[in-house]
This record gives sequence, C-alpha cells and structure tokens, in this order.
Amino acid sequence: MNKLSSFMICLAFAVAFNMGGWCSNTLAGEITVYTSYEEDEAAAFLAAFNEDNPDIRVNLLRLSTGDLHARMLAERANPRHDVIWGWAVTNMVDPRIMEMLEPYEPKGIEKVPARFRDPENRWFAKTGYMAAFCVNNEILTRRNLPMPASWEDLLRPEFKGEVVMPNPASSGTGYLMIASLLQMKGEEKGWEYLEKLDSNIAQYIKSGSRPCNAASAGEFAVGASFALRAIKNIEEGFPITMIIPAEGAGNELEATGLMKSSRNKEEAKRFIDWTLSENAVNEYYKWKEIVTVDGGTMPKSFIEAGLPKDIGSVMVEMDFSWSAANRDRILEEWQSRLER
Amino acid sequence: MSISPTSQNRLAQSFIQRTAPMDQEALLKIVVACMVALPLIVFVLYPLIHILGKSIQTPEGIGLGNYYSVLGNRRFLGLVYNSFEVTLVTTALAVVLAYVFAYGIQRTKVPVKNLFRLIALIPLFAPSLVQAQGLLLLLGRNGLVNRTLATDFSIYGYWGIVISSVLYVFPYAFLIFSASLAMADNRLYESSRILGAGPWRTFLTVTLPSTRFATMASIFVVFTLVITDFGNPMVIGGDYNVLATEVYNQVIGQANFELGTVIGMVLLLPVALAVAAEKMFNRNNQIQLADHAQPMAIMPHKLRDVLFTVYTVSVSLCILAVVGIVIFASFTHLWPYRMNFSLRHYAFDVQNGIQPLWNSMYVGLMASGIGVVAAGLGAYVTERFKTFLDSPLYFLCLVPAAVPGMVLGLGYILAFNNPSNPVHAIYGSLLLIAICNVYYYHAQGFLIASTSMKQISSNYDEASATLGGTFARTIRKVTLPMMWPTLLGVAVFFFMRSMVTLSAVIFLITPSSQVAAVSVLLLEDRGAVNQAAAFSVCIMGMVVASLIIARLILNYFGYRNISLIR
Repeated sequence: MNKLSSFMICLAFAVAFNMGGWCSNTLAGEITVYTSYEEDEAAAFLAAFNEDNPDIRVNLLRLSTGDLHARMLAERANPRHDVIWGWAVTNMVDPRIMEMLEPYEPKGIEKVPARFRDPENRWFAKTGYMAAFCVNNEILTRRNLPMPASWEDLLRPEFKGEVVMPNPASSGTGYLMIASLLQMKGEEKGWEYLEKLDSNIAQYIKSGSRPCNAASAGEFAVGASFALRAIKNIEEGFPITMIIPAEGAGNELEATGLMKSSRNKEEAKRFIDWTLSENAVNEYYKWKEIVTVDGGTMPKSFIEAGLPKDIGSVMVEMDFSWSAANRDRILEEWQSRLER
Repeated sequence: MSISPTSQNRLAQSFIQRTAPMDQEALLKIVVACMVALPLIVFVLYPLIHILGKSIQTPEGIGLGNYYSVLGNRRFLGLVYNSFEVTLVTTALAVVLAYVFAYGIQRTKVPVKNLFRLIALIPLFAPSLVQAQGLLLLLGRNGLVNRTLATDFSIYGYWGIVISSVLYVFPYAFLIFSASLAMADNRLYESSRILGAGPWRTFLTVTLPSTRFATMASIFVVFTLVITDFGNPMVIGGDYNVLATEVYNQVIGQANFELGTVIGMVLLLPVALAVAAEKMFNRNNQIQLADHAQPMAIMPHKLRDVLFTVYTVSVSLCILAVVGIVIFASFTHLWPYRMNFSLRHYAFDVQNGIQPLWNSMYVGLMASGIGVVAAGLGAYVTERFKTFLDSPLYFLCLVPAAVPGMVLGLGYILAFNNPSNPVHAIYGSLLLIAICNVYYYHAQGFLIASTSMKQISSNYDEASATLGGTFARTIRKVTLPMMWPTLLGVAVFFFMRSMVTLSAVIFLITPSSQVAAVSVLLLEDRGAVNQAAAFSVCIMGMVVASLIIARLILNYFGYRNISLIR
C-alpha cells in the first residue's frame, strides 16, 4: 500500500506539473507569422532571424498558398497573426487581403526595385519562384521515355499516367502554372491544352513540392513543380533532371506585409526590417531562384542543376494583376472542368 | 477541469455540512455525479451543438441552404459513394480476417500464440497513416516490389485505401473477437461432438452463434473507424477522395467551416446509427458463462493446426512487412536509391524540430491523468451510486463513441475559439488537445473502468457503508486499492491513443502546439517520406516504452494478468 500511494503521488505530481507548464502559451516578444515558404527554407530563414534577434519568438504557420488565402479570409474578423511573410503576390493583391494590411516602410526598402513593391507600401516582394519539371532519369531509362523539354512534350501519349502536377486551388505553384499557360496561349487555347494534358495526369496533388518529391522517389516520371525543389532534390542525390519548360517558366513573387490587427507591432516591424537585412538577403540567395534584392550570388548547385545565370531569359513575363483579378474565375472553371 | 476534484469535494462537503446529516451522503453523490456530467456537457455536447448551429447558418440567416448546396452537388454524392465503397469492403474484409485470426489464437494449437497476438496489435502503436506509408514504400510504383520484380502496378486509389484501412482496423476487430472466443463452455462442444456433429457443423451451430454479438460489435467499430479516417486516404488515395479527406481539405485547407460542418453532420449520422445499433444488439448480450461452465479443452488436430499456423503467420508477416519497411526506410540514406544505413532523418531539421514529439508526450500524459479521473469517476458513479442520475449519466458517458474525431475537433474550434467563452483561455494550448483526446476516447475508457468495477463485488462497498464509511472513504480505502491496476490500464489506453490519433487534434494544433502524429501527416503530405517515417518510428517507440513501463509496474506489484492493450 505504501509503494502504491507513493507511486500515485508521483503520477499526480507529474500530471500537475505538466498542466501548469502548458496552460499558457503566450510570452512577451512573441509574434505569429503566416507563410507559404517551403518548410525547409522557412526553417533556415528563421534560424538566421533568431541568431540576429534572440529575444523574439516567432510562431510560424506554414500552409500552401491557396490554403493560406482561404484561412486569412475566414479569419478576417479576428486575424490571429502579425505578419504575412513570403506569400504569393497574386494572392496578396486581393482587395480583401489588402485592406487587412498596414502600410509600412521597412528599413532598406529602397533596395527593392519599385516594380516589386506596392506603391502604398502595403507589401514588398524580395523573393520568388518559378515553375520547373522534375524528371526522374531512372524511370525514363526503365520505361524508355524521351526527356521532355516543354509543356507541349508532356502531351505525348507515352507520358500517360506518368505526370503529376499541383492542384491550383490549394497550391500557389499550381496556380502560377495554369495562369502562365493561359497567359501564353490565350484562354481558349490554354484550356484546350489543359484538357489534353489532363488525360496524361496521374494525380493532381495538393502541394506544390510534392509532385517533385514524388518524381524524385520514382513514383512518377515527371513532377511539375518549382525550380528550387528540383535543385534541392538533386543536391540530396535523387536521380532527377530539372527541366525549365521551353515555352518559358511561369513564376510568382513572394511578398511580405504587416497586419493592421497586429498586437505586437513593434516586434512585427523588427521582423519585417530583418527580412531586408544583409543576413536575410544572403540566406535568400542560398535558397531562392529569384531574389529581387541585389547582394549575394547564385550558388554553384543552382547552376549545376541547370539554372541559367540570367534567369530573366527563361521566365515568362507574368501579368500578376491579371492572375489576381481572374483567380476566382479560373479556379472555378478548373474545378468544374478538371478537378477529380 | 479547471477546479481539481479534491477542492470540489471540499466545496461540496462544506456546503453539505449545513444540511441534515441523513441527506449529506445523497446530496454529495448528486454533486459528484454533476461533476462527472458537467465536463461531458461542456466538452462533448456543447461543441456538437455548435456544429449543428454552424451548419444551418447561411449568409441569409438560419436555414438549410448549406445542406442543399452540399447534398445537391454531384461531386459530393461521388464522395459519399466513394466513402461507402471503401468502408463497406474494408469492414467485410477486416472482420473476416480478424475473426479467423482470433479463432486461430483462441481455439487451435497454433504455436507461439503470444507473439502472434502481439504482432496483431502492432498497428495500434503507430499513427493511423503508417499503414499507407508502409504500403507505398512496399507497393508504390517505385516501391520495393515493383523495383525488385520489375513489375509496374499502382497502389494509389481505391485498393490502396482498402488495404491500408484493413491493416489499420485489424487489431480493433481482433481484440473484440479474441475476448469473445476466449469464453467458451466446453460442455457445449462436448455435447456437439457426442451428438455426431463434425467440426464445421459445430462451428456453425455453436461457435458462430456465441460470437454473434462480438461480430456485430466489431462490424460497427470497424465501420466507424474507417469512414472517419482521413490519414490513410490522404497519403495513398491519390485522386480518390472520400468524405473524411474532404472535411480536412475544406476546413484546414480552404477554411470553409460551413461546408465542413455539413459534411461533419453527414458523417455523424451513419456513425451514430452504427453505435446505437451496436448498443441495441448488445443490450441483451449478458452472455455471462454459466456458473458450472468448464474451460475449453483444445484437442490437437493436425490439418487444422497447420492451416491456422500458415494463416496466422501470413497475416503477421503482412502486418510486420508494412510497419517494418517504415522503420527500415527511416534508417536508410536515400530511399530507394541509396539503401545504406543513416541516422540523418532523425536530425529532424524541419520547422519546430523535435518539439512535436515532446508535445505529444505531454498531451499523452495529461490525457492519461485527466482520462483516468474522468472515466474512473464516471464508472464509479454509474456503477455504485444508486441515484436517479444513473442512466442519463451512463448515456452521456457513452455519447462520445458516436462522435467522429474530426467532428469533435471541428466543434472545438467553433465552440472555444471565441474570447467570450471561458475555455478560450486554454484554446491553442496542449491542455485543450489533451482534453479533446480524453473526451474523444471517453466511451472506451469508461467501459474498461466500468467493466472492471462490475467485477468487484459491491458487497465491499455496502460493508464499508454499513460500517459508517462515507463514500469518499470507501473509494480511498476499498475501491482504489482494488481498482488501481485497471485504472493504470485506462491511463495507458489514453496515453496510447493520444500519441497516435490524428482525427480530432488536426483541427486544434497551432504553430506552437504541433503534435507528432500531425507532423507525420504534414511531412508525408509534402513528400518528405523518410522524415515522416522517422517521426512515425519515434511515436511507436514512445508508445511501446509506455507499455513496457506500465507492464513493469504491474508485474512489480504482482498483477500479471491485467491486459494493457485495448
């Protein structure tokens, strides 16, 4: 009986101790940041931030671009975050989002060329990403498939069931692909193309990086994804080739803004200032194919993976305001025509 | 649970001292009964009401608009069809497979039974989507089988979901059948033999009827688990969507709460019907063995034993292969290209790092603490207090069984993410996640405690009461000392389930309160297969460790025959 009661007391203490420790979840110097940066790049950026600012704790929620859009609209009455960080410009310029943002001119904003920021200072974009295919070399050899070079090549019958691409409703990468194809080909031809492509698509995947990861794992021959994922997976040692579609690579800029509703504005502003600091920009050059701020140089691995030094030469000139204005309509059409 | 039970007791006692001594005990009982009922109302019924409310809330006011728009949608009807197609087939397969397996363990001379029993239960130790994870590594287009045999089949979609779901629910059905087949009166089998019935006829006329309630129960348990599971379909379903994944996509992805709640209500219906039907079937299921029942004597029978051994070995191999390959993949350098040993996936260089694992452990510990008190007290009150509150309370304790986890989680967001609600103070914390787990699994925990309470004769209580002991004293001096091994089992039950569950908590995590099972889903969802596997392995390790610790404690005190895995 003695053994028993001491055991019970220990158990009770353990439980009580834990409850006390975990009831409260707010600290001073704490901000909540929503982002669509990839998990690994966000982790690297945050680590650099914490080195420079050890006194601010950042709670990060990472969601796909489209998912984050829906969530911010749903929480419009009572937003839970202070900063929206690294999120597609196409989604940022939605008037319903813009009215939640507070104009703020961070330190060093002059480094960002004017065309990459809002004239009223509600957002600025310092990084971006572009579409690329991850093609599994092993599968190509095993199934005797040709190396695709363009979107057009993906229509070839031998790629039936071998292509995966992101679902544009949830993934920003998915939407930029659809938007760039519609912009390049014109709407009518664009939809015709997408319908044809659909018969070769094995799966529409919710996230923009998973198609590349699935192709890297050898589950499918071609994953339509974005350049950085391809580069990182090549670095990891996966037997894949990065292909920038010959028609030109659709692209997207990642913007940052301060929430009007923030209750920790001082820390939030320090965070935003940091995103333009030298350390931050150096990190961007390690992780992003598109950096709008001058500074570092493109890492060797990017060039080895096949990224041209002048990436402007392979990028489609995107009309972001068109992408933004027509987003709801295009997604609805996509869902009714192609969603499974 | 903001006020601890003891302080409430004291409160109640000081209140009672002012009333007549005769009523003291009765009044105290009612107070304690309310203490059991109140959290159930707050943490189960109240969120459900919110779900209902949200589902009939439209921009134009209250109405059925959301239902019309969902139910009239062709895509939605397709999802309903998919859900039932998967669930019915899975249920049929899992129930038959588990029945035969349990029969092999309980009624034949299969060797090393304890080993096979343990293997059958392995899926309980892992997050539910581990089966899909393993199946992809094994049977994916570039999985082990396709690579080594140079074949090219695809497991994505319908069959992937069915196979992984069968593996996922197998132990639940097995446990029910195993318990049922363990009870047998040898005299019945003896008579059957003497009357000239062959083994097949004996099985059909004696064994099968005696397990019909177990069959019903496992059908309903399995049905409920499968139709509300979204981990496996998310990972292996490809473009084959089911209702559960749609709720996840609509709510987590698109923050479309109205639509999510409507689908939630639609899910609630078949599950509630299943649970109600199970309770109805089992109402008369007091097949206690007759007093003079003789234990079953299993005669050796060569052919039968060989066949069942082959069967149990094959099923065990399937279970082991799927879990084993996840463990294996987590230790390889780069699956499936560079298979050399590597620990690099255990570095957890992802956002939040290893924190989700600790969070899971805290949630598990809190849930087991709260769960033991809630389920134990609930069982005590309904079994021992003879008050008018007994049967409504019993019903209340079992209600959570009919609520799908994702519906409960969704209800928590709607009910408690509101600054004017007092529970909002702990919204977003691990404590609320723990509470959610406790009330999600409340019915099972309660039934374990109350079954064991039934087995302890109430004579002790009466004796204690006659000798003038108050019920608080009776609990302390009589009930607890006899009950604690069972309560430890209940604690382990809540810990295990909290570690592996996804369905309810997925809606409650915040950036700072991520738990490990959710990490597995998120990693898997973005294709970080090896890291997801490493997380799964850590979860399994923690669950197994907790089982071993509990087993050692029980053995130390001499309770060797308490079963810990439910």
